[in-house]
Amino acid sequence: MASRGISRTELKDGVSHEGFLRHKRFRWLKITLGLSLLSLLVYAFTDVQPRHNGGSWLGYTLGTIGALLILWLTLLGLRKRAMTSGRWSLKAWTSAHVYLGLSLIVVATLHTGFQFGWNVHTLAYALMMLVIASGVYGISVYATLPQELSDNRAEMTKPQMIDAVAKLDRQLQVAAQPLTVGDTEIVSLSLDDNVFGGGLIRRLSGRYPRCGTARALRELQQRLAVSSGREAEALETVTNLLERKLAALDRIRRQLKLRAMLEVWLYIHVPVTFALIAALTAHIISVFFYW
Amino acid sequence: MTFLLRQISRSAEGREIVRSSRVEGDRLTIGRGPECDIHLTDLAVALHHATVERTGDRLSVRTEKGLYVDLNGRKATEGSFDLPAGGDIRIASHRIRVLPAAAGAEVAIDISRVEEAGSKDRSAGMFSLTSVMPSKRAAAWALIAVVLAVFLAWPIKGYIDRQQEKEAVERFHADEMWSSGKLSLAHTALENDCQACHVRAFEAVTDAACKDCHTGIHDHADPFRLARAQPGLTTWGKVELAFKETFDIPPGRCVECHTEHEGATQMAPTAQRFCSDCHATLEEQLPDTELANAGDFGTAHPEFQPAFITRWDGDRPVLGRASLARNPREDSNLKFPHDLHLSKTGGVAQMARRLGTDFGFGDALVCKDCHDATPDGVRFQPVNMEADCAMCHSLAFDRVGGTIRTLRHGEPEQVVADLRDFYRSRSPAPRAGATRRRPGQVGRAFGSVGAVQAIRAVFSQGGACYDCHQVVAPPPGSLAFDIRPVAFPVRYMHKGWFDHKPHETEECTSCHLAEKSGAASDLLLPDLASCRECHGGESARAEVPSGCAMCHDYHMDEGAPSMLIRQRVGGKKKDTVIADTATLRRAAAERR
Repeated sequence: MASRGISRTELKDGVSHEGFLRHKRFRWLKITLGLSLLSLLVYAFTDVQPRHNGGSWLGYTLGTIGALLILWLTLLGLRKRAMTSGRWSLKAWTSAHVYLGLSLIVVATLHTGFQFGWNVHTLAYALMMLVIASGVYGISVYATLPQELSDNRAEMTKPQMIDAVAKLDRQLQVAAQPLTVGDTEIVSLSLDDNVFGGGLIRRLSGRYPRCGTARALRELQQRLAVSSGREAEALETVTNLLERKLAALDRIRRQLKLRAMLEVWLYIHVPVTFALIAALTAHIISVFFYW
Repeated sequence: MTFLLRQISRSAEGREIVRSSRVEGDRLTIGRGPECDIHLTDLAVALHHATVERTGDRLSVRTEKGLYVDLNGRKATEGSFDLPAGGDIRIASHRIRVLPAAAGAEVAIDISRVEEAGSKDRSAGMFSLTSVMPSKRAAAWALIAVVLAVFLAWPIKGYIDRQQEKEAVERFHADEMWSSGKLSLAHTALENDCQACHVRAFEAVTDAACKDCHTGIHDHADPFRLARAQPGLTTWGKVELAFKETFDIPPGRCVECHTEHEGATQMAPTAQRFCSDCHATLEEQLPDTELANAGDFGTAHPEFQPAFITRWDGDRPVLGRASLARNPREDSNLKFPHDLHLSKTGGVAQMARRLGTDFGFGDALVCKDCHDATPDGVRFQPVNMEADCAMCHSLAFDRVGGTIRTLRHGEPEQVVADLRDFYRSRSPAPRAGATRRRPGQVGRAFGSVGAVQAIRAVFSQGGACYDCHQVVAPPPGSLAFDIRPVAFPVRYMHKGWFDHKPHETEECTSCHLAEKSGAASDLLLPDLASCRECHGGESARAEVPSGCAMCHDYHMDEGAPSMLIRQRVGGKKKDTVIADTATLRRAAAERR
């Protein structure tokens, strides 16, 4: 699990596990800080007339470093498919990916000379910053959410969670048989619920205002309040089942929400990276086209 | 007739459990109600949902009002099918399969529960966001296509389109999206036309593109001397040069100094270092140069070397240059003691007070009583006898009626003639000591004695001409006196710009030591030290930090330096105009 990569855990045999952020005592963090500091110093002590820009010798240098870094960072997508250990282990790559990616904030910003506008150059910069921001979000959720996911599951597997709902559905089918036609229709609202039916927004927010089970529970509780005798008994059984189903659904939905939060950044990080490489290509070609 | 009903369900292990029952008759009721022949427990099924009826070898299905079944794959309220072919009825999650049966034989019906096809795929994989999101790969390809099309292909098409146009059409050209910043204010009009400067693709901007419009600009100096004047190339400089050679970028292009796309601003003032890089050590770089080293106005600037009249070639003044440190004298051919005229006491001051009401003089003469600024205030009008001196220095010699006759200024031969005429026309009144005229004698001798004396007096010490002018004595026996021509440069500093206007807050005499000057040959120009009282180098703590560009221009001409033009006069190139002094005076009087 990714969560194991973050925290440092002592294993039984005394072999300590080191997350990719702490890899080799923050080796890549140090390299990144060094690179950023060096860029800042050279930037501060270089007199570019009339003002810093991407076209000075420093601008070209920073731009070349930045472009090569972007291409190398993208290669993680290929590299991650082959897990190896050692000096160039995947963990080392990931560590370097994270920290060198952050160094781009300094390198690329200095490359711009703080000149921004509505043009292809600033587009490339903005896309890069978007990729970095999504990556930072990714790091932060990887650091916190896996624990929550694990807590929420409460030792259940995913099929068990789904089965719990299915079991309750079967019980509801039976328990609802004595109900009137109108009441069974209400119970159907719950049975027709598809817990995986919501889109991205539902999953991220974890809010399902049109949840059939919640609605059925509300309405049947009102019926229960005004009914009596055998009908009341049947209604009570059904509402109890609905309450349990709602709890089971909530567990699944929290799981979905956490998973969505854990995964959603990649839907920005990866496609925008390729948009960035396209914009970078246009940026470089345009600069030399109108040189 | 008989129906054989087979209820099929599955155990937890997936084993099939079949419960059979027989129903006699031609009709079957289907519903959730316990009384129905086919009892379906799904809540989506009505208590009495539908009825199946057998007529011969056909089986018809009819639902209750408002209800549907799925009959052989079609949603229907009623329908029928041939028994020998069999049929399939679905209600909610139940499948009622009517097996093919021969006419009159028993009809077997399988009733089973099926998962609703495709609707509830509840595998563990559904927890991942991939189940609700489009593929990342597809999104990546789409974005790549959009970005390359809009920001690469479209601008290149804009470039090709523009190549077809003779003049840039006022419309959006997609290559504008490549502009890294606004053009300077001077080039705003070119914002829409990248190819005004970027003429060919992948070729760095050339000077030719600049000179298409800037036709009047000239080189700062001979390019070869300029190259030699450059300080020795550092290692880094050599790297830069090698880089430029690699990419075919000639050094010394206009755009190396005139960078563009730096925002809609004016061109930044030229930094002092830009000049001092070469000029601070020019004598070492170019031993044959006539220019002294100059690196900073406050600390390293040669003494001024104004151009003034050093001698005369006949009647033509010859300009020469000399350092003010050598206390040079100007040969203007005029006698004029500034100290006498500016004195607060004495004859001149008295005369100023007497004529004050007529000419606006104060208690004594001041500079402006004789010197008038040019209309733009940059320099001073040339001094003119009639306008600037004649208020006091009258050339009157006779009065005829109410008219005063004056000697003609600037025409010595006419002065001689006028004086002769004056004496000839006067009545030969006997004067004490005059020789008596004898018959036969022309009055000439008598008259000429006075005229000759008067003429000699005018051109001699104490005479009207002599006081101010260099008189050329006539050959012996002649009265053909002549006056040396007078000249003053309007401008002394041709390589540097000086504007009197911004110095208005200063007294004239704080720079020009006129009060102490007893001769017109004194060059009353302030020296370097005098300027440095206020002006220092670019980064000096002086009252007025002054870079080279304040007085000098890289592309120098007679006009004001570009920096001042941009800062003061709204970008209009200008040079001082000399106006008619009398007109200026009248205008000034009217303003008063």
